Amino acid sequence: MTLQILLAISAILFTFGLAAALSRSNAIMILIGIELMLGAANLNFIAFWRFSENPADLAGILFAIFSIGVAAAEAAVGLAIIILVHRRIKSVEVDDASNLKG
Amino acid sequence: MVMDFLKTCCADPMKLIGEWFVVLPALVLLLAAAAAVVMRNLIHAALLLTLSFIALGIVFIALGAEFVGFVQLLVYVGAVAMVIVFAILLTNPDQLTKSRNLLSGFAPAAGVAVAFAALAALLGFIFSSPLAKKPLPAPASAPVAAIGEALMGDYVIALIVLGILLTAALVGAAVIAMEDKP
Repeated sequence: MTLQILLAISAILFTFGLAAALSRSNAIMILIGIELMLGAANLNFIAFWRFSENPADLAGILFAIFSIGVAAAEAAVGLAIIILVHRRIKSVEVDDASNLKG
Repeated sequence: MVMDFLKTCCADPMKLIGEWFVVLPALVLLLAAAAAVVMRNLIHAALLLTLSFIALGIVFIALGAEFVGFVQLLVYVGAVAMVIVFAILLTNPDQLTKSRNLLSGFAPAAGVAVAFAALAALLGFIFSSPLAKKPLPAPASAPVAAIGEALMGDYVIALIVLGILLTAALVGAAVIAMEDKP
């Protein structure tokens, strides 16, 4: 196993997340795509830590832990916003939430 | 290249098993993520997302980052997936199948094309980088005691800021989602 394989897996996972975030019109699917992209970033942190010269330096591990914590906060706020939007316009399609459209 | 791979595998069966512990969950991870992205039914997408989170946690554990793997399982599978399922059920389940899908129309197809262009660029950089050809170093592990000492020592300010962020996010989420007073 080389670092390439892990980085390639992470890049493919990131691509799936990016495709979901850009292409799906459902707000929950967009959030799922964002979670996938964050997971890909965490996989990169862990891969670089695993292949580092000095694994006793835990910066990669700690960065992944903090990233997971921030992702939890982001999911909570994002889903609260989705519930509020659904209550206002009775839809979770982002195409329908176009009141500020110019 | 395949022969080299087979040679190293047959010479060292433990290494083979160790690598498959990473590669198999990674394959499950990618398949589940791809299926989650193309699913029309949101509940199916959320369940496949949960499966991909579990596979990602197993990859972390197999790479030697046990603590991050268990945090991944607890936070993502235990909390984030639950919250996503709750949000799907609280919003309108009747509209589940009306959602715009991948490749239905110009804008979604353009989004997918942009994503795969980014993938091509990333893979080009990854496979041309000299850094990426590094072989696997000796098995590393991150002892939980060392992680705890680092969290309470060098990274204590980041930990406090993360605590404040989580508190603010939870209070904010509750305020945002609260019923409007009549």
